[in-house]
Amino acid sequence: MEQETLDLAPLYEMLKEYKTQRGAVIPALQKAQGIYGWLPKEVLEVVSQEMRVPLSQIYGVVTFYSQFYLTRRGRHICRQCDGTACHVKGAAAIVSAAEKHLGVKAGETTPDYEVTFEVVYCLGSCGLAPVAMIDDKVIGHLVPERMVDILDKLE
Amino acid sequence: MSEALRRANVLVCGGTGCEASGSHDTFQRLTEEVERRGLTNEVQLIHTGCRGFCAMGPIVIIYPEGIFYCQVQGEDIPLLVEETLVKGHIVERLTYKEPAAHQAVPFYSQIPFYEKQKRIILRNCGMIDPENLEEYIARDGYQALGKVLSTMTPRDVYGEVKASKLRGRGGAGFLTGLKWEFTARAQAEPKYVVCNADEGDPGAFMDRSVIEGDPHSLLEGMIICGYAIGAREGYVYCRAEYPLAIKRLEIAMAQAEEYGLLGDNILGTDFSFHLHVKEGAGAFVCGEETALLASIEGRRGEPRPRPPFPAVVGLWGKPTNLNNVKSYASVPQIILNGAKWFASIGSPESPGTAIFALTGKVNNTGLVEVPMGIMLGEIIFDIGGGIPNGKPFKAVQTGGPLGGCIPVQHLNVPVDFDSLKEVGAVMGSGGMIVVDEDTCMVEFAKFFLTFATAESCGKCVPCRMGGKRMLEVLTRITEGRGRLQDLVTLRELAAGMEEASLCALGQLTPGPVKSALQYFEDEFIAHIVDKRCPAGACTSLVRARCINACPADVDVPSYVALVAQGRYAEALEIHRRTNPFPLVCGRVCPAFCEDRCRRADIDEAIAIRDAKRFMADHELERPWTPPRYGEAKDQKVAVVGSGPAGLTAALRLAQQGYPVTVFEQLPAPGGMMAFGIPDYRLPRDILNADIEAITRAGVEIRCNQALGRDFSLDSLSEDGYSAVVLAIGAHKSSKLRIEGEEKEGVLPGVDFLREVALDNPPDLTGKRVGVVGGGNVAIDAVRTAWRLGASQVHVIYRRLREDMPAYEEEIKAAEEEGAIFHFLTNPTRVLGDGHVTGVECLVHEPGDFDRSGRRRPVPVPGSEFTLDLDVLIPAIGQSPDVEWLAGDPAIALQRNNTFEVSGALCTSREGVFAAGDAVLGPATVVEAVAQGNEVARAVDHYLRTGTTEKTVMMPGYEVVEQPFDLDEYADARRPHRPELPVGERRGNFREVELGLDEETAREECKRCLRCDLEWLETMQLAFEPVPARQASKVFSASRRDNQ
Amino acid sequence: MPKLKSIEDLKAVREQAQRDLKVRTETGTRIIVGMGTCGIAAGARETMHAILEELDRQGIEANVTTVGCIGMCSKEPLVDIEQAGRPRITYCNVDPSMVPRLIEEHLRQGNVVYEWTMGRVPSEGIGQSS
Repeated sequence: MEQETLDLAPLYEMLKEYKTQRGAVIPALQKAQGIYGWLPKEVLEVVSQEMRVPLSQIYGVVTFYSQFYLTRRGRHICRQCDGTACHVKGAAAIVSAAEKHLGVKAGETTPDYEVTFEVVYCLGSCGLAPVAMIDDKVIGHLVPERMVDILDKLE
Repeated sequence: MSEALRRANVLVCGGTGCEASGSHDTFQRLTEEVERRGLTNEVQLIHTGCRGFCAMGPIVIIYPEGIFYCQVQGEDIPLLVEETLVKGHIVERLTYKEPAAHQAVPFYSQIPFYEKQKRIILRNCGMIDPENLEEYIARDGYQALGKVLSTMTPRDVYGEVKASKLRGRGGAGFLTGLKWEFTARAQAEPKYVVCNADEGDPGAFMDRSVIEGDPHSLLEGMIICGYAIGAREGYVYCRAEYPLAIKRLEIAMAQAEEYGLLGDNILGTDFSFHLHVKEGAGAFVCGEETALLASIEGRRGEPRPRPPFPAVVGLWGKPTNLNNVKSYASVPQIILNGAKWFASIGSPESPGTAIFALTGKVNNTGLVEVPMGIMLGEIIFDIGGGIPNGKPFKAVQTGGPLGGCIPVQHLNVPVDFDSLKEVGAVMGSGGMIVVDEDTCMVEFAKFFLTFATAESCGKCVPCRMGGKRMLEVLTRITEGRGRLQDLVTLRELAAGMEEASLCALGQLTPGPVKSALQYFEDEFIAHIVDKRCPAGACTSLVRARCINACPADVDVPSYVALVAQGRYAEALEIHRRTNPFPLVCGRVCPAFCEDRCRRADIDEAIAIRDAKRFMADHELERPWTPPRYGEAKDQKVAVVGSGPAGLTAALRLAQQGYPVTVFEQLPAPGGMMAFGIPDYRLPRDILNADIEAITRAGVEIRCNQALGRDFSLDSLSEDGYSAVVLAIGAHKSSKLRIEGEEKEGVLPGVDFLREVALDNPPDLTGKRVGVVGGGNVAIDAVRTAWRLGASQVHVIYRRLREDMPAYEEEIKAAEEEGAIFHFLTNPTRVLGDGHVTGVECLVHEPGDFDRSGRRRPVPVPGSEFTLDLDVLIPAIGQSPDVEWLAGDPAIALQRNNTFEVSGALCTSREGVFAAGDAVLGPATVVEAVAQGNEVARAVDHYLRTGTTEKTVMMPGYEVVEQPFDLDEYADARRPHRPELPVGERRGNFREVELGLDEETAREECKRCLRCDLEWLETMQLAFEPVPARQASKVFSASRRDNQ
Repeated sequence: MPKLKSIEDLKAVREQAQRDLKVRTETGTRIIVGMGTCGIAAGARETMHAILEELDRQGIEANVTTVGCIGMCSKEPLVDIEQAGRPRITYCNVDPSMVPRLIEEHLRQGNVVYEWTMGRVPSEGIGQSS
């Protein structure tokens, strides 16, 4: 891995608040991921020590929830919804168009770490199906051509 | 002839009524304005006959959109032209308004979307600023909390909630008040109030909407709960996917604390309550209460066995009350208005309202709150506005991936916890996803299972393994590798999971599969036995949706691609392999292929039928001689009836080498193509060109030979015929069964059309004609009567326009030709002494839903009126004429006198097969052709093996290259089909629809998205063309035994 | 805001808030933009910015506020205009390009732009009658 030394100072700073709270492992991990974009091993070790929770248990939690990532993520996150409403309205075609365009499968990140493409179940905007969430923006009424266009224009 | 294509057609009613209201002036001004704006070449102006809506005249209708304007005066014209013809907007002021809502801007309560809603939980959503506490207070916010703290004991509070019979809105429907009581009575301290806002069900978003739109209602409900059960602390567990909801919740909490409505000493009392927000981390199973609590504690969100229930042992081992967002948000209203008020809403056992997220294939997607017990169909059709593009409703999935589907026959089911369970679905979280014919129920079930198995936490075996095994079975069915035994396996696995799984996730995972099997088993069987996906969704079985949609499996993309390249003869050859009637179908086919064309998702479907007509017309002067595939055989086959089914069967058998004789009762061949479809839709010489090609294959057609009169089934076998195909069609008009039907002047629809085709038309000049029915025969009769000079043609139909089975373009043409439609009307009595002078009709209104998903017409008592007529043409249905059977039990019939046949189209008499309308009931040419192909395969199989099991054809595939860049046709639009102007149609039977010119047809074909090539890529098949050009596609198939 | 110490305090706040609301509906102009997730995804934020800009450009004074989802997600962005003494009118599918005409015709000329409307909201809210 070309991952060099990680600046762990902000992590220690953040953990001060959660150390004393009961059952705060999940919010602590969420905050940690907010800092680094994903959860490298070193980060998990620090969380384990500071929160006084065994690393094995931390690992158990991280692998259980789909929103924790153990691999580096792209600069942009594109989440195509394939919830029921979107599915019925043709999300599958958008997924394959995006996969073809980016050259990666759902759940993968482009080799240049620009875009991570994911398929998720329901973003709760079913009235606009099919929808995708690109970074923090929900985009509705998609068609494959529009998705490709949006991915093209990501900067 | 190639008339310039028009972008829009404007029809102005020129009936007497409208003339009186000034339609002449309207038309004049319109002509001037269109000219002034230089739209003459784009817009066609048409003066039509009376539309029967004289009170609202002058009427102007604009196609293709079908915009209906009424009371259009000369001075309205500039605005109309500017807004509608130039900008494409609808001028609301000129549109027709139902008398009840005669306001351009109706109150929300009058908009159908809101009319049937009752908003309790959503009362503030969209009305107040969610980030402003005072707006909530202004609408009685926190009054319930005030009432509770000042006048009620905790016991009073949970007693009131209990008395309201509020049931848990998370989906399970447990009594909320009872749960509160359990927690209140639990001994341990401290206690907790937890809100489940982990709305994980795909297709449900009402919790998000409540929190985003009215967060204080949730807070107030939770604080009241805290008071009732004696808790001082609470948690809202919210999905991380809802950042806006979390933000608004935090703002609301901060404001409530600032006002002293949350925190220590609320409203100056000694009651204190603190709230925290916990953000989920993406695990569907955390919607299960014990898993959710584990997640709040910072652990893996795995469920545990219950009891003990959280009311006793909950968060950190302490008594915990856990409810859904909507349950808490209902509480302030219950406290303020009283339990009695709440219990009076909805159905007795499920009081109150339910919120549904109405999504999928429905016009008005969104959130709706309705009283419990409302009819399902009301939600989908009245509130939801029905299915987009006029497609039929297929099913609705309720309760998300752990729910079930409800098919069309249950549209009348009342929507509440218990009734939904009875039909195999659940209330669940309130997702309501509507699907139409494009959704394959097998694939749909597989989709839910994929979701549920991915979200299984893996703790218990039935859920972890059972789901996986079911998914494998479903996957192989969707790929065409299923076995009938699989259906048994699925049911067994489902039973095991329901019985033995630890939590609701595992117990409910089989739900969608079970309900799909319950209502759509035929679709599973189609995948397994016929290797077909009727919805056209399962990639492995569907090369392209158009091919899949064609009953005759015509290879649409291949011939369209060849037309694009100018290779018409090759294109036609591909078409004829499965359908020998390209000239006919190029004119009268309903084009099922176009209904499913993927290009329509982008703009409009490819004009496939016009392309077909062009290539067939183009090759007209090069007569086709069908190729011979099999060696000459000596077993003779008789085909009775020379319609599309009979002739196709005869052709295929002749191509295989059998000597075939066709017996036709009428003086000319063609069946309904010759004697049902009028000349202005299908000219006789065109039909004959297709039929002549069939005779060139060696088929002998004997006309004027009637079964039962000139020959019999026995005489056929005596004459040495080894097999008989009965393709006698459905030529007998159904009776109206009303008084006076025998009077002179009553002409059954098919008889009327036949007499006209035999050149023996009744004299209708100046007569008033009424046609009863809404199918194609009815509309054919209407348009024929108008051509014969009838002064008025009335259409009497008992349902609504959108329910008419006739083709939309035919109905429109009849409208253009001035037919007067009486919808929701049914005749009750034919009037006159001896000869018809009129008909007494009764007005109907739409009632509940019938099994077809249409509103049942219900007579309105006392609404009788008389329509003065000279001729009445009943055209309400046809059935096969089986009088020649004379009750012979050797051939079994079904209801409606169609033949009972096996899977191989074999009747109950050995060696006698049947096909076409005689089996299907009145259908289309292309469906009859498909049956002709199929029965020929069955007869061939029978004559070679002596057995009659069903054979399945797996068509090979053709690959036509794509020599141009599709991107260049991204903006190309479907051309309008040229037509004979309305003014030139009266008094003659000249063809109305005209063909495209070569350039237009070829360019149009280039819009095809070539789904077939994409399929090859997906299936990773070779791009080389299949060499099997010499074999007939119909017969080249591998045969598979029926399992 | 001082903490509410009693039910009477709460009542007072409610009366004041209702008075404010009444004053607001009887004077001046309020523009209400649906800003639930669905509205934002459909472009409500852009629409709101366009409204603010247009008001500024034309020098019209109006109070622009946001609300959550009203349920008709397929018609978002929804924009309501409430003017003194006149019914609250809802416009649907409002994109920024429609804003200038909306402001010009509805606010300046006082004419409802009928073809974009969906309905008007009775003062007591939806679905609460009877």
